[in-house]
Amino acid sequence: MSDLKITGLHKHYGAFHAVKGIDLDVPSGEFTVLVGPSGCGKSTLLRCIAGLEETSAGTVEIGGKDVTWARPRDRDIAMVFQNYALYPYLNVKDNIAFGLRARKFGEAEVEKRVARAAEMLGIGHLLQRFPRELSGGQRQRVAIGRAIVRDAILYLFDEPLSNLDAQLRDDMRVEIKRLHKELKRTMVYVTHDQIEAMTLADRIVLLRDGVIEQLGTPLDLFERPRTRFVAGFLGSPKMNFLDATLSASGVILKDGTTLELPGRSGLKPGQAVILGLRPQHIAMAGASIAKGHMRVPVVIELVQPTGSRVQATMPLGGASIIAELGAHDVSRPGEKTSIDIDMTHAIIIDPATETVI
Amino acid sequence: MRACLTRAMTTAVHPDRFFRYWLVAPAIFLLLAVGLFPLIYSLIVSFMRIDMMDTDTSFHGLYNYANLFKDARLWWSLAHTLLITAIALPIELLLGLAMAYLFLERMPGRQIFVALLVLPTIISPIVAGATWRLMFDNQYGPINQILSWFAGQRVNALWNIKPDLVYPAIIFCEIWQWTPFMFLILLAALSNVDKSQTEAAEIDGASFIRTFRYIVLPAIWPVMAIAILIRGLDLFRIFDIIWALTQGGPGTMTETISIYAYVQGFKQFETSYTAAIAFLVIFMLTIVVTWAIRRTGLAK
Amino acid sequence: MSTLPFHRRKDVRLAFRYLLALLLVIVFVFPVYWLFIISFKTPDEIFAFPPVWYPESIQFANYKVLFKDGDAATVGNSLILATVSTVFAMILGTIAAYSLVRFKTGGENLAVWIISQRMMPPVAIVFPVFLLYVWLGWVDSYTGLIVLYTAFSLPYVIWMMRGYIEDIPLELEESALVDGCTRWEVLWKVVLPMARSGLFATAVFTFIFAWNDFLFALVLTRTEVTTYTVQVTHYFGGQSNFWAKIAAMSVLGTIPVFITVAIMQRFLVRGISMGAVKG
Repeated sequence: MSDLKITGLHKHYGAFHAVKGIDLDVPSGEFTVLVGPSGCGKSTLLRCIAGLEETSAGTVEIGGKDVTWARPRDRDIAMVFQNYALYPYLNVKDNIAFGLRARKFGEAEVEKRVARAAEMLGIGHLLQRFPRELSGGQRQRVAIGRAIVRDAILYLFDEPLSNLDAQLRDDMRVEIKRLHKELKRTMVYVTHDQIEAMTLADRIVLLRDGVIEQLGTPLDLFERPRTRFVAGFLGSPKMNFLDATLSASGVILKDGTTLELPGRSGLKPGQAVILGLRPQHIAMAGASIAKGHMRVPVVIELVQPTGSRVQATMPLGGASIIAELGAHDVSRPGEKTSIDIDMTHAIIIDPATETVI
Repeated sequence: MRACLTRAMTTAVHPDRFFRYWLVAPAIFLLLAVGLFPLIYSLIVSFMRIDMMDTDTSFHGLYNYANLFKDARLWWSLAHTLLITAIALPIELLLGLAMAYLFLERMPGRQIFVALLVLPTIISPIVAGATWRLMFDNQYGPINQILSWFAGQRVNALWNIKPDLVYPAIIFCEIWQWTPFMFLILLAALSNVDKSQTEAAEIDGASFIRTFRYIVLPAIWPVMAIAILIRGLDLFRIFDIIWALTQGGPGTMTETISIYAYVQGFKQFETSYTAAIAFLVIFMLTIVVTWAIRRTGLAK
Repeated sequence: MSTLPFHRRKDVRLAFRYLLALLLVIVFVFPVYWLFIISFKTPDEIFAFPPVWYPESIQFANYKVLFKDGDAATVGNSLILATVSTVFAMILGTIAAYSLVRFKTGGENLAVWIISQRMMPPVAIVFPVFLLYVWLGWVDSYTGLIVLYTAFSLPYVIWMMRGYIEDIPLELEESALVDGCTRWEVLWKVVLPMARSGLFATAVFTFIFAWNDFLFALVLTRTEVTTYTVQVTHYFGGQSNFWAKIAAMSVLGTIPVFITVAIMQRFLVRGISMGAVKG
């Protein structure tokens, strides 16, 4: 049974076509992340699901019911906003209880639910405080508390962590993941941060310019991207892209470097392609060259340490690439050394269609 | 900045410690002349006995003030003023709020509508009063004509003359002129309410009234309070509109405190007595206004 | 597939809103329209029963009378009084506002006192001022009213310009000081140009206030310096009013205001609401 089903959804803002025909099926209990660059339509899509925007075409079904024209309050959903949207003149307890009281729940039931939500989020000691007295992280928890206390079918999150600082974001991510495990509800989560998408999602919906670029599990999208966009979007640091031409067994880079592509057949020599290499699949030259790897001599240009790893920039194939090496592998710019590239994970892209071959 | 630079290198630096006082001095001087001086002067004159006959400048103590309390016409004028204020203010507030909600959401051409609706507020209150004097005319004014259409028969309402019609006429004109003021202020205030809060309330299932009471009202209250204060005070000192419509008449039926003071001072030439009234009014209002300003944090 | 119920459709709601808006415009604008057309009507049309909703033709006869009689000159008086007092009030008020904002001169007490002056009832002030003017010989003079209008406009100007000046980043002034400007130069060369739009908006509303004043003009003028507002009341009679003149004079006095507001309508909210609402 799918808790959320979207068919042929379109949304126009005057002449601007924000959402262009989205079909999406979210099974019960799944954590789906809508991710993409700004302007891709993810927030618009979420707001259409919530009923805060009217759809231009298509249907939205929640819990099996057609809610395309229903008001937000009739859709049995709960939502966490990016700027928390807490009611400043009510204390934390009244904030959380607001929706329940609006729906005329008895005070006893309200008390019970609020207490349970507060306990789950660790904010029981803040119930009498007002939003302005809380920190960003605490406010976020209250916003989440307000959502989960409602016992809705579908939970929507609109970039909830964007306003938090990096450290807090990491902590809250864990909280949200734990929450999902405990509540077992269907959640749709919007973010522009690919790390959040990768770590939280059961399935990722990568949006671009109003259409679904690719849909699948995080690992799916990471290892088997279907287009250059998907390949470049996920993973940090970003994937390296090099112009190249196909040879019978591999590729030839602009500077003449040849790299073998293991396990491929039917390559058309002479075809212009783009080679995609992830920084994580490049290592320092080891004792021996492993199967499927290629050794290339390089000159290190820049070095950015990140603690246990180092992001090293170096020219290759007529462009600059980044490799993620061990902290002690390289020390200074200008160093001449060699790298081992794991070509089994390399991808080739047709420059004309931007799809992965 | 070139000019500044060269000069700085050749002239000594003046201490600008007194600069700030020079800046406010002329303004404060004028304000004192208009604000403090009348207060003191009224006080002094009110202790004398100057009227149409005498110019007795000897000290007469609280003679005039005692008369104030015995003066029925004064208290009636205060009652009239309060009546008008108590009726017009809530209506302007509610109507203005309703209009603000009407224009809150985007609509093409809203700019034009708002500009047109603001017309009554920018014309002179005298002109507004004059306009409605014409509108309310029994024979030639359109109001009675329109009412006649609805009633199906000729309506002969003497709006500017009959006692029980005069007040509705005045209040109507006043509301007509100043509701747009409330409307503008409330429109701006409503626009500043955080949209995501109302959306969250929408999703939470709150009705319009609940959303208004717990979310919108607290948010617009500071602005609304200021608007109520300004309009309330303006209504208290209402003069022009009534002067144009009835001049305080018939008799003294629509005489407000301002009109009464004017009549006493410039028609009856009860100089000292008027000074007493003036002093009393200024004194009362200063206390009320100062309290209100501090309370609403206007000065911050 | 379900569809949106009729009363919730966006276009239906919009149509309804337009209808209401139109109704409101009629109610609020019709009286002004009525005033205007009376000024263009012939005496027969004015005193017609049932009322004439739309005149046969636009007659300027009523206006000609006003100009011939010299009554129209009162508009000129209003113009002089309003313009000069506005200029003075803007200059004195703006520099005072600057002092209040940047140097916190007088602290909160001064600010409170200044604002409270805006709320003083004119009638209580006009009487002692009248007595003073009699003594000074300023009754029925341009000087008298100009001084009074300036003084009375100061709180408004100070209040509004305070808000606009606060919006100017302090860094601009500091960098000018570092560059070698005196404080006076900073005020004139940096602050005032940046506050230009605020100056303009405030000046317009100050002008309108002085232009529309009645009570002060009534008390403090006699025959030499009549303003158009007082002139209008001269046409009120006990039994019959000089309707045509009332209308024509009113229109003459109102058109300048319409024009200025039409130009300034962007600043409408902030100007009328005394800066109570931010932005």
